[in-house]
Amino acid sequence: MKKSIIAAVLLLFVLSVTAQKLSIENVQKVTLRNADAIKEGSEVKGYYFFYVSDKIDKRTNEYTLQITDNNLKKLKDIKFVDSKDVKILESSFNGTDLIFLFYNDDALTFDYQVYGADGKKKYSYQRQLTKKERRFLENTYLRMDDDENNYKGIYPIDGRGFISNTPSREDKDYTFQVDFFSTEKRKQWSYIPTIGAKKFIGDYLGTFNGVVFLEVLKFTGMMDGKPDSYVVGLDLETGKQLFEKSTDEGKYKFYPASMSILNGDKAYIFGEYFDPNGNIIKDKSHGFAFIGMDEKGKIVSEKYCGWDLELGKFLEVTSKGKIADFGFMYLHNMFQTANGDIYAVGEGFMKVASALGIASTVLSGGRQGVVSNVKVKVTDLIMIKFDKDFNVKEAKIYDKNSNKQELPSGMEFVSTPLIGKLLKYSYGEFDYAYTQMNKDNTAFTVCYSDYVKGKDYKGSTFNAISYNDGKITTDKINTKSEATRSSVLPAQQGQVLILDYYKKDKRLDAHFEKLN
Amino acid sequence: MSVKTIPFLILILLISRLYSTAQAPAIYAFQQDDTLVRNNYLEEVASKKKMLLSGVPKSAASDYKEIYESQFDEINDLVKTRSVTAPVAQEYLQSMVKQVIAANPELAKLHTRIFFTRDWWPNAASMGEGTIGINAGLMVFLHNEAELVFVICHELAHYYRDHTQKSIDKYVETVNSEVFQSELKRLSKVQFGVNKQLEALSKGIAFNSRRHSRDNEAEADRYAFAFMKKTGYDAGGIKTCLELLDKVDDSLLTTLKLEQVLNFDQYPFKPKWIQKESAIFSQLGEDDNQLSKKEKDSLKTHPNCQQRIAFLADSINSAKTGKMFIVNEDLFNNLKKDFFREMTEQCYRKNNLSRNLYYSLLLLQDNSEDQMAVYSVARCLNQLYENQKNHKLGLIIDLEGKEYPAQYNLLLRMLKRLRLEEIAAINQNFCRKYAGLMKDNPDFAKESTKAFQLNKS
Repeated sequence: MKKSIIAAVLLLFVLSVTAQKLSIENVQKVTLRNADAIKEGSEVKGYYFFYVSDKIDKRTNEYTLQITDNNLKKLKDIKFVDSKDVKILESSFNGTDLIFLFYNDDALTFDYQVYGADGKKKYSYQRQLTKKERRFLENTYLRMDDDENNYKGIYPIDGRGFISNTPSREDKDYTFQVDFFSTEKRKQWSYIPTIGAKKFIGDYLGTFNGVVFLEVLKFTGMMDGKPDSYVVGLDLETGKQLFEKSTDEGKYKFYPASMSILNGDKAYIFGEYFDPNGNIIKDKSHGFAFIGMDEKGKIVSEKYCGWDLELGKFLEVTSKGKIADFGFMYLHNMFQTANGDIYAVGEGFMKVASALGIASTVLSGGRQGVVSNVKVKVTDLIMIKFDKDFNVKEAKIYDKNSNKQELPSGMEFVSTPLIGKLLKYSYGEFDYAYTQMNKDNTAFTVCYSDYVKGKDYKGSTFNAISYNDGKITTDKINTKSEATRSSVLPAQQGQVLILDYYKKDKRLDAHFEKLN
Repeated sequence: MSVKTIPFLILILLISRLYSTAQAPAIYAFQQDDTLVRNNYLEEVASKKKMLLSGVPKSAASDYKEIYESQFDEINDLVKTRSVTAPVAQEYLQSMVKQVIAANPELAKLHTRIFFTRDWWPNAASMGEGTIGINAGLMVFLHNEAELVFVICHELAHYYRDHTQKSIDKYVETVNSEVFQSELKRLSKVQFGVNKQLEALSKGIAFNSRRHSRDNEAEADRYAFAFMKKTGYDAGGIKTCLELLDKVDDSLLTTLKLEQVLNFDQYPFKPKWIQKESAIFSQLGEDDNQLSKKEKDSLKTHPNCQQRIAFLADSINSAKTGKMFIVNEDLFNNLKKDFFREMTEQCYRKNNLSRNLYYSLLLLQDNSEDQMAVYSVARCLNQLYENQKNHKLGLIIDLEGKEYPAQYNLLLRMLKRLRLEEIAAINQNFCRKYAGLMKDNPDFAKESTKAFQLNKS
């Protein structure tokens, strides 16, 4: 979504420029192929614009990769000639070096290119894909527009390199591939799990004391609806697997969502917990779990905060996690601030009767129509605060207008948590956009969209919940303005980039604004 | 005449003269413009536009119309909102212009409109139809009347030689020429390598146009020398002026110490406001781009000033008998002081709040009892608060960039990082600090009341 908005707005800009009187510009053909923010973790450090700057022949283009700083001021134009099938999939910055992942659709290659602080290319790492792998990637990685980079992404390791996570196919297995690309010297390793299951989904949790922590779901087959969950540790130097720890071994079944280093340099993994014999995909969670783990995968502490006992002090909630007027919570993110407090950000959703589905059933003489009798209502945003000992300290619901999503027939029998995952990955109905945290963890911003029907303003809004030096504030930007079209894009933590396009004047105002 | 940097020592001296000698008036009285003079200028500009439009060849009427509309919009804005027509400044400038014209009767027929502007950037410009503006941002750096007279002569020479009109004619002729059009037609049908060929074609135009401009600069210098040597001013002013133009850079203004001017007992300055962050291509060389030195130089609007000095060296040495001041040295120096304040205020009027704050803080740093500076800082911080609250701040502040001096960049970084409540807290503490000094200033009282209210909210 973000990428397409940047591209669309930039194209408008290009069009507005080329539409001027100068005939030379009318003949010029420059197309923007990709554009996106370059991030260090969640912080935007710059932007890239990938243009086809000329066509050399039927199979070859000249490209210009323009890199700007986080003020959109041009740092460098990198020009090169390559196949017409090249595009940029991802980028990342690790405090000193920059990496781009180029994809050649025709040659079936992933090309990771590393640029140093001096702006010169340092290393290039290539991965050859098979046709089978491409088909798998087209249905997963290449299709997924995932703001939070779950199950994909290039993650910076401060000053040392990058970790990349992409889906992969090995023989008959559907798995994932974690790569490390060093920026200190030309060095790379890959990790591809293939043993013990037929399907694997991996999520990068973080790196601590030279160990790369991954959350791995193992499925016995493509139709397996009850995967086993593991935390896997890899040696950052070699990529060798150091441990594989089942998340079923504690008091409860646990599904990791994120990891943080806290309380005197210990790794803690956060997430929701379930019945010991439950199903982390389909069942309703019992609450939040905080698992301390050392670099050998040994659990050193466990803490559970149940919906009824712990969160019930702050919310009107059932033991299954249903919150009054809010519904069930879909957990978007968990993170920790410098003072040790932990925040969980979720969004409510609930099944409600569908008038359209019921009418469709009635009209078809009692037989189930194409639309389900239930639909999903996406409700408010919630932020839960835990102290450094993982006790619930506060829970606050942030009101917003609800969205409703009709479901296809048969979905009334699908479990509520699974519907939450469908809302996130298939329907894209949640309003939560992204969370950004600054490098020293003293400030964060949770961003989400909303729609307002007020006296003074009717239209969509971009909303932020900001944390700074222990204080929480909220802010709202009306995205409907006197401009023909306005877009809000991520910028540095605590800021956004607003693009206002004025059709009549053929003018694009790009301005950075702070979230108050 | 674009201006880049100025020698450090000269600037230190200049700034210390600008401020330290200033037993600053309690409240600064801004120059009151003469609306009659301004309206006369506007009428003359309108009549000139009408005359030019009526004379364009039909074959390229739309090209000329487009260029003239844009040119006269700029001239009207300059005269209406940026010109200084206040009698003292205007009469002072005219007395030098009269001297130049009296010594060079061929200039009398030109019917020019020459005035100072309140613009902050160190430049002067001949607008092409007789309007010539000399920016406050250039005046504050000049050392003497001889340098100012050279600037006047140089801009008069551009108009006398009709450089702007000739450039417009040449551009219109080129883009409408059969050769150019047929090349464009051919390229519009080519499938591969079009942009490379277009780049070569457009580079040709840019090169011709720029070279023309460089030739114009050299010619304007030669004519300026010829005009100036008859005026009684020391031609040595040409050399020092060109040296100044070569190096002028407001980073050489006294260094703004943010951590001092915005540090308060109850609200200390936070280093994190200006702390350096990790940045992409942090070690990228200043000159790291694809243009060769020759190409970069050829794309400059003005050729290297050292080269210009070298071209005129013999002439200058043969005519160094004149004076540095003829009209009024004291007035020249007073105007320089005034113009720093005028351009500070103009930045506020033109909604360039970051630069308004920068200059106001510099004034305050130099003289902590400067009431205009105190009021200006308080007012600017309140405006910054309002704009940030309404998500419009990004439209009225500059963004950190290599084109700005380091100390201004630090202020820009700070403005980009300050949270709403921090702006309010800074201004409340600022107003509290200067409450005693400003006790009789009702304008400041309003800003102070507002600052206290904002910090409570």
